[in-house]
Amino acid sequence: MFLQYKFLIILRAIWFMAQIAFFGLIASRMVVPDLADIYFEYYVAGVIIMMLYSTSVFIGYDIFEEAEHGVFEYLLSLPLSRRELVLGRSIGGGIRSFFLVGPMIIIALCVIGLTNPVNFLLALATLFLFAFGVSGLSITIAVGLKSSDRFDILMGALNAFIVRLSTAMYPQVFIQEANPAYSALAQFNPVTFASDLFRWGTGIERYLTVSPMPFAAIAGLVIFFFTFTFIGVTFYEKRLEGGGWK
Amino acid sequence: MSIIRTIDLTKRYEDLVAVDHLNLSIEEGEIFGLLGPNGAGKTTTVLMLSTVIRPTEGTAIVGECDIRKNPDDVRKLIGICFQEPKILWVSTPWDVLNWHAKVCGLSTQQRKERVKKVLEEVNMWEHRRKNVHGLSGGMKKRVEIAKVLIQRPKIAFIDEPTAQIDVVGKHKIWNMIRELRDEGSTMILATNELYEADVLSSRVGIMHKGKLLICDTPKKLKDSIPGGDKVEIRLEKEATQKALKKLKEIKEVASVSTMDSQNLKIYLNNVEEVIPQIMKLFLKNNLPILSINMSEPSLDDVFVHYTGLTIEEAERKGSSR
Repeated sequence: MFLQYKFLIILRAIWFMAQIAFFGLIASRMVVPDLADIYFEYYVAGVIIMMLYSTSVFIGYDIFEEAEHGVFEYLLSLPLSRRELVLGRSIGGGIRSFFLVGPMIIIALCVIGLTNPVNFLLALATLFLFAFGVSGLSITIAVGLKSSDRFDILMGALNAFIVRLSTAMYPQVFIQEANPAYSALAQFNPVTFASDLFRWGTGIERYLTVSPMPFAAIAGLVIFFFTFTFIGVTFYEKRLEGGGWK
Repeated sequence: MSIIRTIDLTKRYEDLVAVDHLNLSIEEGEIFGLLGPNGAGKTTTVLMLSTVIRPTEGTAIVGECDIRKNPDDVRKLIGICFQEPKILWVSTPWDVLNWHAKVCGLSTQQRKERVKKVLEEVNMWEHRRKNVHGLSGGMKKRVEIAKVLIQRPKIAFIDEPTAQIDVVGKHKIWNMIRELRDEGSTMILATNELYEADVLSSRVGIMHKGKLLICDTPKKLKDSIPGGDKVEIRLEKEATQKALKKLKEIKEVASVSTMDSQNLKIYLNNVEEVIPQIMKLFLKNNLPILSINMSEPSLDDVFVHYTGLTIEEAERKGSSR
């Protein structure tokens, strides 16, 4: 099943390598020269979370594919509750995104290094919730819109909004200095929680605004996961039947 | 005992009433044929009974569960073979069936045995490792029906059981459906193939424009057409007026037409019960019979009788509904 994405994995890997080898290096040279190496590590970690976000969104496109092939009716007829079905889809989508991003996480670890494996494993476990939550969000929007074109546009806009309004690319301290309103929004963004957790897990904690134990980020991702899984179940039940897919 | 009971089951799509206040009862252990042209509402009925879509009005009791109140429990009792094969988009027949069996709760050992057995039965064992997208329509349909055969549900819905399947394959699938019934499953076949419904079903419900027109055994449905049976008799001698009068007096005889005085066409009901009476009458009147040709009405005739249309005409009209 995962092999259907082999070209996608290759393209993502090329994109990731280009992102860190060119843009990452250039961008890090553009910041204060003393912080260049530090920002490069920061940037690599941010790119990983951006990739995890964008691959977790794939599940929404799968939903349109399934609607086109009529697989929905089959899935809805299986001896499973709707909750189990959505949970299965969210978790499946999350695991798949980890499978796709996994090789890049290993490369990132080689670049950044790993100071505390226990922290990293805790961060990784919570990042699963992030991936499941993004899959739930994607499912919710897909079944809510029932239009692949609208979904494509909205996910593009949401991607720009969520990723830009986060600490994926820019450290919170600098955002705070530049624009406090922007900073306030970025603080409650799941991409911020995930990025901060990944950096904490890999030991780049000195650039973070999170406390030594990132409870807020973990709690934020747990809430994010449950919210979109619940909304996903509700939408799935209410919107799936009756056709109208475009 | 009824295993399925629908109570004013209705499905509307904006202006279109796909299923209109359907009241139907299906007995446990029977093969029930839901017959009608494309667009009659058969598939919508099956999808509502299997909780895939929600009714607009009314409900149904499947097993002992209400499809509105306990859809999760209903799904534990049923299995569906869809009209169009629903296949996860990158897999082999083996993967599709193994996954289906796993979701339906079969143990690893049961899965191994049943998937192999059923793939062999539907002649798909050799093709088990091929990509499903490379399979012909008939092969995909066989994989689709194999899902139900592996699952062995208490209630199986089979939509167009033998669509796209060759004649030999059809007979094989019919036998498998009968075997599944013999193992205790109740089978609901939604079909527009009248012959298929006739040979397989213990009872048939005819649907047209979302409504159930009539429901009974194929035999009773055929007998319900006045003068539906036809007997052609060739006599050795010319028939007398007295004999013809006596013939017309038989209760089941609807009409008699004489091609010539030695060749008669009799339209009647319950041919198999009345024919000895007719033979006795001619012999008593010293009119030896040279040949007899009997024919029963088909379900096509039943459909025409109740709708005024052939199934092909109904399909043409239904598509413009």
